[in-house]
Amino acid sequence: MTRRLIFSGALAAAVLTAAAPPEAARNGSIRGRVEIRRVVATPGPRASVTDSDVLKAPDFTDRLRSVVYLETAPRAAFEQIDPAHAVMDQRNETFVPHLLAVTTGTVVDFPNSDRIYHNVFSLSKTRTFDLGRYAAGRSQAVRFDRPGIVRVFCDIHSHMNAFILVFNHRFFSVTDADGRYRIDNVPPGTYNVIAWNEGLASEPRAATVPDGGTAELDFQLR
Amino acid sequence: MTAGLPGPGLAQTLPSEPLVFGDGHVTVGADVSATFSCAETGGTGSCGDDTGFFNYSDYEYSTLRMLRVDVNAVVRANRSLAVVADLRSENGGSPRPYALYARLRPWAQHAFDINAGRVPPTFGAFPRRSYASDNLLIGYPLAYQYLTSLRPDSIPANVDELLRMRGRGWLSNFSIGDTTPNRGVPLATAFRWDTGVQVHSAWAWADATAALTTGSLSDPQLADDNGGKQIVGRFAFHPEAGLNLGVSAARGQFLSRNAARSLGVDANIDSNQTAIGADAEYSRDYYVIRFEAVRSTWTLPTIHEPLVATGGWIEGRYKIHPRFYAAARVDHLAFSTITGTTRTATWDAPLTRLEVGGGYLLQRNLQLKASFQRNSRAGGRVTHLKIASAQVVFWF
Repeated sequence: MTRRLIFSGALAAAVLTAAAPPEAARNGSIRGRVEIRRVVATPGPRASVTDSDVLKAPDFTDRLRSVVYLETAPRAAFEQIDPAHAVMDQRNETFVPHLLAVTTGTVVDFPNSDRIYHNVFSLSKTRTFDLGRYAAGRSQAVRFDRPGIVRVFCDIHSHMNAFILVFNHRFFSVTDADGRYRIDNVPPGTYNVIAWNEGLASEPRAATVPDGGTAELDFQLR
Repeated sequence: MTAGLPGPGLAQTLPSEPLVFGDGHVTVGADVSATFSCAETGGTGSCGDDTGFFNYSDYEYSTLRMLRVDVNAVVRANRSLAVVADLRSENGGSPRPYALYARLRPWAQHAFDINAGRVPPTFGAFPRRSYASDNLLIGYPLAYQYLTSLRPDSIPANVDELLRMRGRGWLSNFSIGDTTPNRGVPLATAFRWDTGVQVHSAWAWADATAALTTGSLSDPQLADDNGGKQIVGRFAFHPEAGLNLGVSAARGQFLSRNAARSLGVDANIDSNQTAIGADAEYSRDYYVIRFEAVRSTWTLPTIHEPLVATGGWIEGRYKIHPRFYAAARVDHLAFSTITGTTRTATWDAPLTRLEVGGGYLLQRNLQLKASFQRNSRAGGRVTHLKIASAQVVFWF
């Protein structure tokens, strides 16, 4: 009796298994940490002898953030990008955030939150623009349609600069203050992953994302 | 599979930020400019010098033919104290201190500073923009650069002697004091800084600066040469973003002690330079407009009328493209009239300069500039001269 039940159950399971559709591969993640092991350029103002703010100490914090991205991504990824909005504020004579990563088609707003003029511009081939001088409370926007690196400056304040990295896929992540990152919804497979900080990119490193699992990958940028 | 980010797409390969080390305590920057010019040569087709000395700031150097290297540094001892220095070399010459002062901020929450040493200019707006990277054009405003015939170490014996030097400020000489031909002085120099103590306070809508220095506007000094002090002040008002209005005033002893002794006077003599100035700047969108005027009055013991010089200019810039801007400046320098034994004339030759040009940004901190000057002077050996100039500027 017991043997018959076991056989019946096994048979039913075999039939069910054969009848069910093949299970879809589940997306996974890549996560890790980027450690900056070089002297990071500081955002301090020029040592202009007529500058009245020579006592202001430079702030390093935002320069430690990096972008980690897949060097190549699945073709299907490019069909799902929705145009988005992002903001790069101008506050206390600083671009906030200093590093912005967006997908192609994203419109970036540049509000001026200071009570002085700013003049955002870029000479980068990816997107050359100049928004002119505008006062507090006003904002100008730029749409980024080509992938690449955009270096952003203020024409008035030489110490103000920032980076916008434009990707044509969504597989990237900006690290937190501790250098940690996580790229989610990555289809299973092996990818080359790159870490980027202040114009310096790491060598591509392979990461294999298991079905529904997480790949760990740390970087050191020297 | 498709690439997500093209390789280095940076239009910025040169470092654009100052060097910072010592855990943020030391910041070093530089401003390097190379300028070359060609003056008209009367149809010979060759590249001529500035034979009218319209752009000389010093006896040896033209501001339009110069390699200038400025290296500046800020050393922050703590949140209250910093030492600021600027070493400048021109045409490969020995570096000399352009600025060297200590800055003390007694209260961290208040923008009130005390500077002591060779301090930044107090008077006027332009001297704060005298780095090549800050100047819209290549030439300098006449009031801050053009050499009048007056000298602090040499005194004209009478009006006739002064009138003989009209338009010859690059190589002036008088019969009292140092009789060796040498350069005269501008109304206020943008090329040398004075030594003394300066206080500066800033608020949301205004800032004020006052200083007590050893030299005068036209002849700043590292060490005192006449026992007199200069008092100078400036008040700037910023009623709205993009609009700056400023007024300045200065009064100081002009003649050197040696020149006074040549007159047979042991003590200080009454020889002052008094100056007032006004400036305005308005900017919006892609344009900047600036106006500045300086009026200087010198009193000399041998000339019974005050010698007045007034310089005024208006300049503007329009950004045509993120990389390219066009700029222009109209500048005039006028002098008061004095009467000698045979004629009545302005004590120096009035001068007008029109300069048009533009700049092209190769990178954020690497710029090419080109300009064309037309100088017209009512006196001197050369009265009219057209000069074309080009300049490369790099800073970090």
